[in-house]
Amino acid sequence: MQQRAVRLKLENVSKSFLDRDGKGHVQAVDHISLDIYSGEFLTLLGPSGCGKTTTLRLIAGFEHPTTGRILLDGEDITGQPPNKRDMALVFQNYALFPHMTVYHNVAYGLETRQMPRPQIQAKVAEVLKLIGLEGLDKRRPNQLSGGQQQRVALARSLVMEPRILLFDEPLSNLDAKLRVQMRSEIHRLQRRLGITSIYVTHDQLEAMALSDRIVVMNQGAIEQVGTPEEIYRFPTSRFVADFIGRANFIDRVPYQLVDDDRAEISLLGRKLVVPVRFPLRAGQHVTAMLRPEALVLREDASLMQVTIDEAMYLGSEVEYVVTFDQQRLVIVQQDPRISRIFKEGQTVGLDFLAEAVHLLPDQTVV
Amino acid sequence: MIPVKKLLFGISISLLMLVAAPVFAQESTLTVLCTPQEDWCVAMTAAFEAETGIDTNYVRLSSGESLARLRAGRQNPEFSVWWGGPADAFIAAAEEGLIEQYESPNAAAIPEEYRDPDNYWAGVYVGALGFCSNVKVLEELGIEPPTSWDDLLAPELKGFVAMAHPATSGTAFTAFWTIVTLRADALEAEAAGTGYDEQGFPTPAAIDAAFEYYAQLNNNILQYTRSGSAPGSLAGQGEIAVAIIFSHDCTKLQQEGFEGILTTTFPEEGTGYEIGGMAIVANGPEPEAARMWFDWALTAAAQEIGPTVNSLQLPTNPDAAVSELSVNLTEINLVDYNFVAAGLNRVAIAERFDAEIAAAPTS
Amino acid sequence: MITVRNSGQRYAAKYLNALLKDPLLSIAIIVSVMFVLITIVLPLVAMVGESVSESGRPLFQQYLSSPVYQTIIANTLVLGVLVGMVGTVIGFLFAFVQVKLNVPFKRAIHIIALVPVISPPFAVATAAIVLFGRNGTITRGILGVRYDIYGLDGLVLVMTLSFFTIAYLNLRGMMEALDPALDEAATNLGANKWRIFRTVTLPMLLPGLASSFLLLFVEAIADLGNPLVMGGNYEVLAARIYVTIIGLYETTGAAVLSVILLVPSLTVFLIQRYWINRISVVSVTGKPSGTPQSIDHPLVKWTLYGAVLLICGLIVLIYGTIIHGAFVQVPGVRWDWTFANFDFVINGIGSQAMRDTTTLSALATPIAGLLGMIIAYLVVRKEFWGRNALDFGTMLGIAVPGTIIGIGYILVFNTPIGIGDLTLIPKLTGGQGIFGGALAIVLVFVIRSVPAALRTGSAALSQIDPSIEEASISLGADNARTFRRITLPLIRPAFLAGLIYAFARSMTTISAIVFLTTPQTKIMTAQILNEVENGRYGNAFAYCVILIAIVMAAIGVLYFVVGAQTGAERRLEGGR
Repeated sequence: MQQRAVRLKLENVSKSFLDRDGKGHVQAVDHISLDIYSGEFLTLLGPSGCGKTTTLRLIAGFEHPTTGRILLDGEDITGQPPNKRDMALVFQNYALFPHMTVYHNVAYGLETRQMPRPQIQAKVAEVLKLIGLEGLDKRRPNQLSGGQQQRVALARSLVMEPRILLFDEPLSNLDAKLRVQMRSEIHRLQRRLGITSIYVTHDQLEAMALSDRIVVMNQGAIEQVGTPEEIYRFPTSRFVADFIGRANFIDRVPYQLVDDDRAEISLLGRKLVVPVRFPLRAGQHVTAMLRPEALVLREDASLMQVTIDEAMYLGSEVEYVVTFDQQRLVIVQQDPRISRIFKEGQTVGLDFLAEAVHLLPDQTVV
Repeated sequence: MIPVKKLLFGISISLLMLVAAPVFAQESTLTVLCTPQEDWCVAMTAAFEAETGIDTNYVRLSSGESLARLRAGRQNPEFSVWWGGPADAFIAAAEEGLIEQYESPNAAAIPEEYRDPDNYWAGVYVGALGFCSNVKVLEELGIEPPTSWDDLLAPELKGFVAMAHPATSGTAFTAFWTIVTLRADALEAEAAGTGYDEQGFPTPAAIDAAFEYYAQLNNNILQYTRSGSAPGSLAGQGEIAVAIIFSHDCTKLQQEGFEGILTTTFPEEGTGYEIGGMAIVANGPEPEAARMWFDWALTAAAQEIGPTVNSLQLPTNPDAAVSELSVNLTEINLVDYNFVAAGLNRVAIAERFDAEIAAAPTS
Repeated sequence: MITVRNSGQRYAAKYLNALLKDPLLSIAIIVSVMFVLITIVLPLVAMVGESVSESGRPLFQQYLSSPVYQTIIANTLVLGVLVGMVGTVIGFLFAFVQVKLNVPFKRAIHIIALVPVISPPFAVATAAIVLFGRNGTITRGILGVRYDIYGLDGLVLVMTLSFFTIAYLNLRGMMEALDPALDEAATNLGANKWRIFRTVTLPMLLPGLASSFLLLFVEAIADLGNPLVMGGNYEVLAARIYVTIIGLYETTGAAVLSVILLVPSLTVFLIQRYWINRISVVSVTGKPSGTPQSIDHPLVKWTLYGAVLLICGLIVLIYGTIIHGAFVQVPGVRWDWTFANFDFVINGIGSQAMRDTTTLSALATPIAGLLGMIIAYLVVRKEFWGRNALDFGTMLGIAVPGTIIGIGYILVFNTPIGIGDLTLIPKLTGGQGIFGGALAIVLVFVIRSVPAALRTGSAALSQIDPSIEEASISLGADNARTFRRITLPLIRPAFLAGLIYAFARSMTTISAIVFLTTPQTKIMTAQILNEVENGRYGNAFAYCVILIAIVMAAIGVLYFVVGAQTGAERRLEGGR
């Protein structure tokens, strides 16, 4: 990635809440530091309760950090109220003003800035056109479909031309089909307008489809930051590997260090040399990760033979579950039309793509 | 935006007007503490306002309430003149320093028995206590209109008698003191010195005897009202048979819709009477206007206003015309009512009545 | 532990910092808190202080050991319990008929049930005396009995009729919120309707029934107007306090009696606040699915309906008597047609009272409405130290009987309050108080109305997703603009309800005001009491009719100005 200006900087930011009985504290965000570059689309991804929404609300200014600083274009905005920060937040439930028309919803922020009326009208018309809501400006939110409401929420934020656009799981209330459609719309708009965006979601597909970079969060801390491909192919922890996509883990793989960043391992009856992407000391256990699509089932007597426990036909793919050496493995075979479909109970050969093998430090507690 | 501003503006203006009104009017206002019936208060203040141009307000309170209110506002009185209500309340007030002396140039016209020798108060009307009965109800109960205090104790009348509470009402206190006087007379008749002390005041024994009477009467009482004249309307409504009120209040009711329903009788052994008093409130806010009122209220013209609103008390000014509907005091038996003794005992009796009789539920 | 405390302190410091950054919010909080402290808490504290003073303490013993006062206390509690029970049953009956029965004229029944809310005190009692008194048009005239309505039975009758609306609205809301799916589920499981009612409906409504009972209990023991008019020899604390002040001007004695009355009132308030809310199982916010099943059993249906119609008939009869009585010479005795009563009220003594009461109520209404919404906003939406206390303090304005508020005001505001020569609060009560004592009256109107506005406001606010307000802030609006442009329009129906309630309450309140009227400010309800006491029922009824007319007109005006017709509520529903 080329060197770009840092738009937003989180420095050692934490947030703790009083717990329910008001005695102890819950650490929602735990000393996070993060740089967000100008024009980039960054996603905070993680399971519910991982602190991603709190982080977003800290950035937006709805929560005050317990420790740390937040800098916008180098200026410390930690103590600034949310309405003074040049950011716009798109809410999960859209949070449209129910008593205002589409036009007034979109114009609201500009009116707050006391922009002259003709200018407001022009800008609102422009953004409504951009987002495909022309002619709906006199409707009220309850006269719109879910997708249209989502577009209004987006338009309302876009029209402000904020320095950062914030999204709080904006697509989670839409049905599956609409979600995919809106996803590509957001993608298109963001690439076109180049607005720095921070996007919170628990949906890894959404994250991968939209993001320049993904921040995977767990228990208030950052697990890994990287491009979607990096995160998917080279997760640094078992948590990330498991959360992004699906993964088979083979623990305590026997290995021999070849040099500092390569090791020879024996896996599923094969010996191979794979890269090591973390500091590995001799004697430490390692886990091998294989994505389900990296495993292949073939009728080949030279391979390790496994029995198919389950076979599920899913249209575009077939999912098999086999047991090998007391290890349950999930295998996904793309487009079953180009190969044959095996039946439950059938015994077939098991193979895998050597380049897909990824080593992780063994994090299972002994 | 604009309506809110307008609203705020409106509120500020109204507030300003509220502040400003009393300030501007300071020199030309008068606040009267008025004890007779409300419509008489209205007529009197309106007439005074018409005559003098002084903006006159009043609050109508029963005489006990008036006394209490004056006592409470002693440091900073809200009234300037107190008009009407039995004189014993005025005597009590003078004793407590709540009213001040004033020698009105017009007082000379008033007979001496109707004014205070020390000029703390002057009488503005006179009235006699009577029984105001609903003839239909009495008929149903099968008894005649009462002609003595003991008639009120008849078992048929259980729950059919009403009077006001002596703590709040001068009327009721007059009724109480009438019994005190009658009991004192009776004791004195048995043995000299037992009914009256050397000052000529009824003895504690006489007062105890009066409490005995009211304890008995309590069994027949439906309700002790706050205002002295209220029992009359209860009788008019047929809620009770007999009301112990001033006869002029009963006449007023007859004039205002209860003719043929209500009848007035007097106890033969003797009844009490009131002198309606008037006094300047000590350190009142408008002393000038208060004196003007005082002088005016003693004139014959001012005392002829009562009958126009069916308030048929007798005027104290001999020059004032007397309505033919008013009671003729020479035809009834009046007790020798000692206003001074009554006034001095008023507070103690009111509290004792409240504690021993009025609060006690009837058995 | 230490780290927790430290971080707590740090948290507090940060929080304080945030408050300072939003001066408007801080001002709103400070103003609300000061208002509640000065106008509600201070008079109460003063009253309690007076009661435990040197001269007050012996009175406690004297009152509590005297059989006379023991009877008065017992009377008060018995009255409260009876009114609570009968009123709750009637309220339940009305709610049940509205929600569960398929019968004609439900709309009319609903309106009739609402009528008592805007009726002035004394109106019902006086009409009841005319109709059912010893010489009552019905009891004596038709039935030929000499019924003694004065006392407990009469009080229960008039108070129940005056207050049952509270129970009705409370229970109706709850019954409508009950998920009919529950009924359906129970039916599916083979339960019959009586069994469903017993095992599903009733337990769900139990908190509602309990809270209705408690609300009515408090109203009944605090009521002053009815016991004054038809208490007979059945003495209750509120009336006793009144006589102690008005007749004897014994402030200490009144303060002691007030504290005795305060004990059951506050106990009920606390039960209501901390217990009922906790056991409440009905989620009022939940959207019921399916249609409520109606009860079809003809015997059950028509018996209940008949009972409700009977009570409606009674209400119509009583209000008919009030209106008719306003136009006759002596209601109950001489039914000759006349305008004299209105002439007396409009052109005579009543005109000033009418003007003063309406003006002061009109002043108090927007203050109470806005203050209620602002406090609701602060309590529901903002985190600050003392948030719960603010809510609690505001609610005291109505939890405490009016007589007690009135006495507290006399105690505190009869002399100027200040430090040294500096006057902080001038003398408010009495004719020499500022604005002729009008400010004290307006303040009492406000504190008696704010709690209702606060309740409706916070109920409405908790239905609105906070993210709608956050969206506004995120778009650059500050707290004030957000409140004005977003929050207030969205809770407009609640705001309107708060305003209507405030106006109606101010126009009809008596218990607190009766101690605060002055020569300069005359209050209609106090005038009505005068007329009733003096037996001029015609005048009293004319006052009542005019008062009701003013309240109705004001409701019309408020609808027009605040515009509930635009139905922000409905839009909100659809917006989700």
